[in-house]
Amino acid sequence: MIKVNNVSVTFKITHDQIKSIKEYVIAMFKRNIKYEEFVALNSVCFEVRKGEVVGIIGRNGAGKSTLLKVISGILKPTKGEVHVQGNIVPMLELGSGFDPDLTGRENIFLNGSILGYSEDFLKSKYEEIVDFSELGKFIDVPIRNYSSGMLMRLAFSIAAMVNPEILIVDEILAVGDESFQEKSKSRMLEMMSGGTTVLFVSHSLEQIREMCDRVVWLDHGGVKMIGNTQEVCDAYKL
Amino acid sequence: MSKAKETRLFKTVIFGVVIYVLLVALFYFLFGNQLKYRGIDSSIQMVASTTPVGEILKGSSIKQSFLVEENAIDGFSLKFATYNRHNTGTVTVQLIDEAKRNILFEKKLDVSYLKDNSEVALHLDKPVEDVSEKVLSLYIFSETGTEGNAVTLWYNNQEKRKNQSLYINNKLVDGVLSFSVSEKRVVSFSTNYFLGTGIIGLLIILYGINLFIKQRTGKHSFGLNLSNALIKYKFLLRQLVLRDFKTKYKRSFLGVLWSFLNPILTMIVQYIVFSTIFKSNIENFMVYLLIGIVLFNFFLESINMGLMSIVDNSSLITKVYIPKYIFPVSRVLSSTINLMISLIPVLIVVLITHTHITWALLLLPFSIVCTVVFCIGISLILSSAMVFFRDTQFLWNVVSMLWMYCTPIFYPESIIPEKLLVILKMNPMYHFIRFSRTAIMEGVSPEPKAYLLCAIAAVVPLIIGVIIFKKTQDKFVLNI
Repeated sequence: MIKVNNVSVTFKITHDQIKSIKEYVIAMFKRNIKYEEFVALNSVCFEVRKGEVVGIIGRNGAGKSTLLKVISGILKPTKGEVHVQGNIVPMLELGSGFDPDLTGRENIFLNGSILGYSEDFLKSKYEEIVDFSELGKFIDVPIRNYSSGMLMRLAFSIAAMVNPEILIVDEILAVGDESFQEKSKSRMLEMMSGGTTVLFVSHSLEQIREMCDRVVWLDHGGVKMIGNTQEVCDAYKL
Repeated sequence: MSKAKETRLFKTVIFGVVIYVLLVALFYFLFGNQLKYRGIDSSIQMVASTTPVGEILKGSSIKQSFLVEENAIDGFSLKFATYNRHNTGTVTVQLIDEAKRNILFEKKLDVSYLKDNSEVALHLDKPVEDVSEKVLSLYIFSETGTEGNAVTLWYNNQEKRKNQSLYINNKLVDGVLSFSVSEKRVVSFSTNYFLGTGIIGLLIILYGINLFIKQRTGKHSFGLNLSNALIKYKFLLRQLVLRDFKTKYKRSFLGVLWSFLNPILTMIVQYIVFSTIFKSNIENFMVYLLIGIVLFNFFLESINMGLMSIVDNSSLITKVYIPKYIFPVSRVLSSTINLMISLIPVLIVVLITHTHITWALLLLPFSIVCTVVFCIGISLILSSAMVFFRDTQFLWNVVSMLWMYCTPIFYPESIIPEKLLVILKMNPMYHFIRFSRTAIMEGVSPEPKAYLLCAIAAVVPLIIGVIIFKKTQDKFVLNI
């Protein structure tokens, strides 16, 4: 269950970001540390019940990614609060924390631990991950020697091996060659359909209509519309 | 679930208490005797030597009586002269309690080893106690001395001292023998020790009970949060430490061997420089130098890695939720593995230089843990400062160099002028290094104050670091 309660996020933007003490002191003396406030999210309220698939739509810069970051705990909201029950697996970016000098095997454990998997879980799923990635004997090669396709396959295989209670998806990830794309897409659909709570951001209205129970439409940081998939999608299209 | 948690907490608390009691007992068993004696300033000092007493021949005797003020003595020294020739035979030195007429200590010296005009220090294996306000005497005679083949002792025929008299061949003469006595004060260490450790033990038990109650009622508690986080992120922490350690030497030919070679090579260079160009008369200079280098290198390496930890992992921090303190902590811990490896050369050099190895080596983990805790604290401060001001790393380069010269790594602490001593005492690294040196080189436990100073020097920066880090960590995402 996710409860987003009146969440606002504002960024302070200085025109030239001050990154050194000298610049800071000079700016302080000149009294021109001027901040421009940028409201990324403005009093967003909604609830996602257990097992629901909720889509989030909106134009670029509407605050979709910021909202996902707030829900997954990366960003603290300036105002308001988020309640989350259950473990979250964010599929925002694949292969975070991969180290080029380590082998595929070592990276499975490193990346898995970063995603919050337990050691026992990783050990029991290890074979499955390697099989899914189709890397075969390359698994013991340092990943700096991998092609970009191989890297993405490995990253996807690690990320897709969980059965989380809450899944946060930023676009359906289709990586690798055509057959792997098919495979990864069907794996994601499988993950999203198995009774898990899903927050799903996409620009493809087709996918949203197909998957989601409800839709939240964000516009300029605020919720413009929330409700039944059909209604919101129709309104958004206009 | 909560039942399992409760038993686990219960086991941890019991385990902690048992370990604590064992450590307290072991420490007392090994070092209780050493810490019973406190050094004092009022020992008997040596007088300037003016005249020799004459050859110590077979049948002749020299007796110097003196009154002891403190309640124990653990050694004395005499000034011998050899007439600038090579002598053979022996000289016997006795320490006698004049009232009871019994011999407290006796040692037969081989004359051929004595150097001309040298002070010979005799150390009592077990200090003689209960000597306060008693008249003791040093009695020196020879069973072999013949004319032309005997040594002599220096004395001062002008000096007069209260309660001291010198007899040469049983005749009272004016003057005082050139001798010194190292007096000690016996303190009731064991009472204080058991009182102190008992109170701390009680606090541990009380805190355990407090945790237990808080867990049952589900209240917020720092200790519980910490232990839960440790269990939850143990695996991640281990993976990050392993990664840092594995990738450090990954593409170098000698690999991990560098952790081993680096301190040795630095030591050799500095040893050559400071033992030939700048003469330093530190005893056992190699070990002295190496301990300083190893600990200070660890400090530099872990801070340099910890400093960049948040900025380097910016891609992770903006994408996945991980407690951010894990990055500086994991960097420091992976340097700790390096430190462990660097301790092997220290051990080798200790063996090569025939440094006396005692149980005091077991105290080394204390100063190492303190150093690690200190480095975590500083890393937390600097890594969060680094996010907001990228100048921190350049500033740190200068500060760390200054810090190195402020720490007695290759020079003796005695060369520091008295008014600058305050700076030395404020330097945590000085305390950690000094503690380790005492434990390894002197083979005794440092005085109780040193433990306290090390603990304070480690914990205070940690607390400051935690506070600063906690206050700033939410803004990291916006600034990297």
